[in-house]
Amino acid sequence: MSLDISFIGILIGSIMASSVPLILAASGELITERSGVLNLGVEGMMIIGAISGFALMVITDNLFIAIVGSMFSGVIISLIFGFLTQSLLTNHVATGLALTIFGIGLSAMLGKNFVGIPGKEFPILFSSLRESIPFFGPILFGHSIVLYFAFALPFLTNYFLKKTKLGLVVRAVGDSPVSASNQGINVTLVRYCCILYGGAMCGLAGAYLSLIYTPQWIENMTAGRGWIALALVVFATWSPIKVLIGALIFGGITILQLHMQAIGFRIPVQFLSALPYLMTIIVLVVISRDSRKIKLNTPSSLGRIFYKEK
Amino acid sequence: MATDLRISNISKIYPGCIANDNVTLQFKSGKIYALLGENGAGKSTLVKILSGVVSPDNGEVFLNEKNLKLSSPLDAKKNKIGMVFQHFNLFETLSVFENLSIDATEDNKSLRVRINEIFKKYNFSIDLDVPVLNLSAGQKQKVEIIRCLLRSPKVLIMDEPTSVLTEQETEELFISLKKFCDEGILIIYITHKLKEVLSLCDEVAVMRKGKVVSVSQTQNEKVETLANKMVGQKLAKIKKKINISKNKDEIFKVKHLNFYSDDPFETNLVNLNFSVKKGECLGIAGISGNGQNELFQILSGEIITPDTSIIFRNKEIAKLNPKQRREYLMAFSPEDRISQAAVPELKIYENVALNNFKSSNFFEKGLVNERKIKEHSKKILSDFSVNTDNVELKSQFLSGGNLQKLILGRELITAPELLICYNPTWGLDVGAINYIHETLIKINDQEKSTILISTDTEELLKLSDRIAVIYKGKLSKIMPSEEVTPEKLGVLMGGGSID
Repeated sequence: MSLDISFIGILIGSIMASSVPLILAASGELITERSGVLNLGVEGMMIIGAISGFALMVITDNLFIAIVGSMFSGVIISLIFGFLTQSLLTNHVATGLALTIFGIGLSAMLGKNFVGIPGKEFPILFSSLRESIPFFGPILFGHSIVLYFAFALPFLTNYFLKKTKLGLVVRAVGDSPVSASNQGINVTLVRYCCILYGGAMCGLAGAYLSLIYTPQWIENMTAGRGWIALALVVFATWSPIKVLIGALIFGGITILQLHMQAIGFRIPVQFLSALPYLMTIIVLVVISRDSRKIKLNTPSSLGRIFYKEK
Repeated sequence: MATDLRISNISKIYPGCIANDNVTLQFKSGKIYALLGENGAGKSTLVKILSGVVSPDNGEVFLNEKNLKLSSPLDAKKNKIGMVFQHFNLFETLSVFENLSIDATEDNKSLRVRINEIFKKYNFSIDLDVPVLNLSAGQKQKVEIIRCLLRSPKVLIMDEPTSVLTEQETEELFISLKKFCDEGILIIYITHKLKEVLSLCDEVAVMRKGKVVSVSQTQNEKVETLANKMVGQKLAKIKKKINISKNKDEIFKVKHLNFYSDDPFETNLVNLNFSVKKGECLGIAGISGNGQNELFQILSGEIITPDTSIIFRNKEIAKLNPKQRREYLMAFSPEDRISQAAVPELKIYENVALNNFKSSNFFEKGLVNERKIKEHSKKILSDFSVNTDNVELKSQFLSGGNLQKLILGRELITAPELLICYNPTWGLDVGAINYIHETLIKINDQEKSTILISTDTEELLKLSDRIAVIYKGKLSKIMPSEEVTPEKLGVLMGGGSID
């Protein structure tokens, strides 16, 4: 196998493709966490998005309905989480874990009849340019619309948080729900919206897997990507641009691991799969050295239940 | 335009407590009103009702004869009622400007212009683009005030505003408040500090147990009359007999205490040497942030410094941790009751058990001896007149005064030879302060010693036998307290010299 320039282009293109679900799910979770809600149900929401997207595609034969439907199912399942944590004031961690377990179980049940059905080809954009330009072609062109959206999303998220009034409100709620409430902000409403948005993005991330990345339904096909997305948010210290960088690194590790296996490189697969988590821990240790920095970036009320005074 | 705020028959009942009982009050602009009362008298509840944070069970609020519906903080905002809470309602990780812009209706550019106008008018200066957590308490309060001023309020309510301020900041605040008042803003000033009422306010309403017990002009009042109204009984005047027998044994001796830290928020201590005699109270005065925190932590053993020698009852204890020092009969009462002295989420008896000695047998073979701890806790509650006998109560539900009594009780019930306390009456009301002062004097009468680190000069002059001043980590010479006057202390605390 030669490491020529066009091969590297293809490699980068495939790394980008593999990082898409991470970017989508982590960007969604980032908004949720910025509002002070810790939703550990990312994996569950993703897998529900994956099965509902695939099922809708099979039933309606319409990819647009499948994509929108997967986002909608993400919203519905995150609504359960929102109702429990925001209206019934349950513990975020326990509820999120339960959501993941529920999502994996439910998707396996719903998906029984869809195993082995071949997927539909998802339209790709600028496919002619992909072939004609060496190196940059496979990087910039020939991807699905979801990929372009995913790569724009961190910048949009960053703009939303930093430049818009609503973004400021989200950050304020995550910083101090009590102060926000005393300023007349409806904390519960803001958090509901952020949870539902997070759900929609996780649903989309799941649909990307079952409709575009590997177009078929396999039980438990998210394979821990939801957990990596969660780790990614912490890895990025709640900054959307760093989510993008982190997702490319983690996506890169996944792809490299495949290539290394192909070459016959003797590193255990398990070690490579564990790398994202290891890196998160290392990054956490490094950034924790500066307590001011971590305080400035972490939503102070993350995972804490907000009781309104009556 | 004149503003007229009327509160009519407000009642608010919490389970087990009547916070406001038929409160009726009237305020008019052009004056500064004080709302005075002990902790738990119902001031804060009343203020929360006025700012729409809680809604009353009964009663009405009228602003210029218009009946206000205050069901959320938004309603208070709309009706031009501004509020500066005791615990700041700021977003620590957001910048000052973001904090101010969050509920602004105008665009950022014109908002900046307006903020700068306010800065000019009242002589404020704060960097708008730093995160709030970098500000001092006084600056944070200014941000809160600016946030209110941006909405051109008719009423400005200040809830215990000076509890976190230095003296300098307090003076600045008072100047600003008087300016606001001259501009026609109606100011309601909530406090339990009597002197502030007399020096700042025109009229004072005193609350006790949820009721308004008196409304009067401050010019007709004195500290004593207000204190008696507030507590509801005549307070005994405390004066300590100063205790200067020179030939008593030195029980505690510190030599070469040095402390160096890289953290810009900590103060370095430079060669502190002092000693305490049996039955003596050594006062350490100073403006907060001059090294008191570090000194307390070194004396209690939370920080171990090299080369320091601490001799206690003829033993070298400089390398011992707080628990070991307690075993040698030292006791500590830190400044922050909630986060350092007690765990608010734990029950009273569990907090008592935190201070366990080999001799107290709270734990047997690794198991908690609950019965024993509870008995012990009950004794503390009754001996130190804590306002409850329920040892299962979570400590966070105790008022500041009762929590401090519990902490002192826990420390003193083992009859320690030396008690080191740091601002023991910080934020407490007169009744509780009196009780704590009596207790501290009693300890000295029993030939036990105390080190009192305090930012309250009056308290130091009342309780200490000898006083030293700490300034920028250095200790002044130690003076017998009869030679010390408040003026002298003031000079030393500001870094001056009196020789």
